Amino acid sequence: MVNAILDPTGGAAGARLGVALASPRARLEGATIGLLENTKHNAALFLEELGRLLVDRYGAAGVLARTKRAFALPVPDELLEEIAGSCQAVVIGVGDCGSCSGSAVADGVAFERRGIPAAVICTDAFAVTADAMAALRGAPGYRYATTAHPVAVLTPDEVRKRAEETLPQVVEILAGGQG
Amino acid sequence: MTLDPDNAQAAIEYCYDQGWSDGLPVVPASRPLVDAFLAQTRRSPKEVIGRNKQVDRECTVELAAINAAMAGCRPEYFPVVLAAWEALMRDRAAGGGGWQSTSGPAPLIVVNGPVRTRLGFNCGGGVFGPGYRPNATVARAIGLIVRNVYGILPGVLEQATQGLPGRWSICLGENEEESPWPPLAVAAGQPEGTSAVSAMLLRTCEFVDNRHTQDPEQVLWDIADTISRTGSLIFRDTSAGVVFGPEHAQLLGKSGFSREDVQAWLVEHCGRTRAQLRRAGKDGVGENGVRFADGTTDPDDETFEPILPSPQHVPVMVAGSRNAAMSMVVRVFGLWSGQAVPVEGVR
Repeated sequence: MVNAILDPTGGAAGARLGVALASPRARLEGATIGLLENTKHNAALFLEELGRLLVDRYGAAGVLARTKRAFALPVPDELLEEIAGSCQAVVIGVGDCGSCSGSAVADGVAFERRGIPAAVICTDAFAVTADAMAALRGAPGYRYATTAHPVAVLTPDEVRKRAEETLPQVVEILAGGQG
Repeated sequence: MTLDPDNAQAAIEYCYDQGWSDGLPVVPASRPLVDAFLAQTRRSPKEVIGRNKQVDRECTVELAAINAAMAGCRPEYFPVVLAAWEALMRDRAAGGGGWQSTSGPAPLIVVNGPVRTRLGFNCGGGVFGPGYRPNATVARAIGLIVRNVYGILPGVLEQATQGLPGRWSICLGENEEESPWPPLAVAAGQPEGTSAVSAMLLRTCEFVDNRHTQDPEQVLWDIADTISRTGSLIFRDTSAGVVFGPEHAQLLGKSGFSREDVQAWLVEHCGRTRAQLRRAGKDGVGENGVRFADGTTDPDDETFEPILPSPQHVPVMVAGSRNAAMSMVVRVFGLWSGQAVPVEGVR
């Protein structure tokens, strides 16, 4: 009798929940925008500037800024519920490290599943991780916004400029181009 | 029985093709082999021993056994693998994003107690490896579990910028017989004589070679100089342990230094002046605790900033040969749990 070679992985990864992007996409005018920053250097300013631009240029009503303390881990349920309960769209970031890029995408998918359009910002060095995490969370091909790596070394003015350059991607993701 | 290398090679290649290898050949796991591993523990094969929230995966005793077998462990090593895994589960960084981190940290696994000699763990010369099956394969088993069970693959969800020498290969037996101090596991809460495993994550290791002094404080100053380098400072504070070679440890012990004395001495003396921190662009500390180039520090500010906040940030152990006065500074990623996990007895 020949013995089979055993599989050490425990089988293929999740994808149990299926793809479910929020639909319809957000109407930015009059919307409250959640800003979920992850404590990474310059992340808060990056999101704050995006929030300001969404208010000034797209007529968003305001922002709700929150911090995810453990950048490597998924957003806690209470925080997700708080933002989802009062915001019509959310911007998440900045994914600029091995663990936080993946968890930012996981958070984006979680908000989408909760019915809230979510734009995740990752630096371009972590696209592979971001894509892998999206697939792992059952959302292969999930779109996120990228900005050049690194962000942590930028001056405040450079961060604001970078946020403005990222704005079209964020609007496209949140509103599907409808603004 | 004639051993069949052609079949063995084909099975090894099959495992490569499935993506189950860390780059070196694995032992293809069969039911009888894995059952021999499972016979070494009272725990149920289905028991969940690890859960990774980021990737939404769980590790069971059975999956750990398969990977330990593939790593080249003998079945009797399996309780040590389980204890090492449990010790890592208590490490905050390993439970956070450690396995995915750009820092690419390596587990440092330390084995104490009678299990060292019973299973043949190296505690002496060349203790950081290679050359000894228990040390090499227990450490490798952890790496295969992370890779295969959690699916954290290099270049994908594992984003080590450069990685470091020794990842998945550092497992030390403590040289208790030549240490002036109680075993690390005792300092970590276990009764004397317990076989137990401690584990922490490392950013790297750096030797301190100091063979020509009889002054214990000169040895400590030499170690403090290495620990105090600015390169490892990311946050306000850092952690650094010392794996003392027996000669340095005995010099300290004979001079009246307990382990706690050594830890306290290093906490007091490791650090940099604010001027030195400014020069390296690390004089500022943000709200998130991360250092950055503040630039407002006076370039002549000689105020000393200690960087090791507590003894738990300075794990101290003894391993290696007494053939030269060397020690190893180990750069701990995050904060050691300070807990050792007993090795389950054989049924």
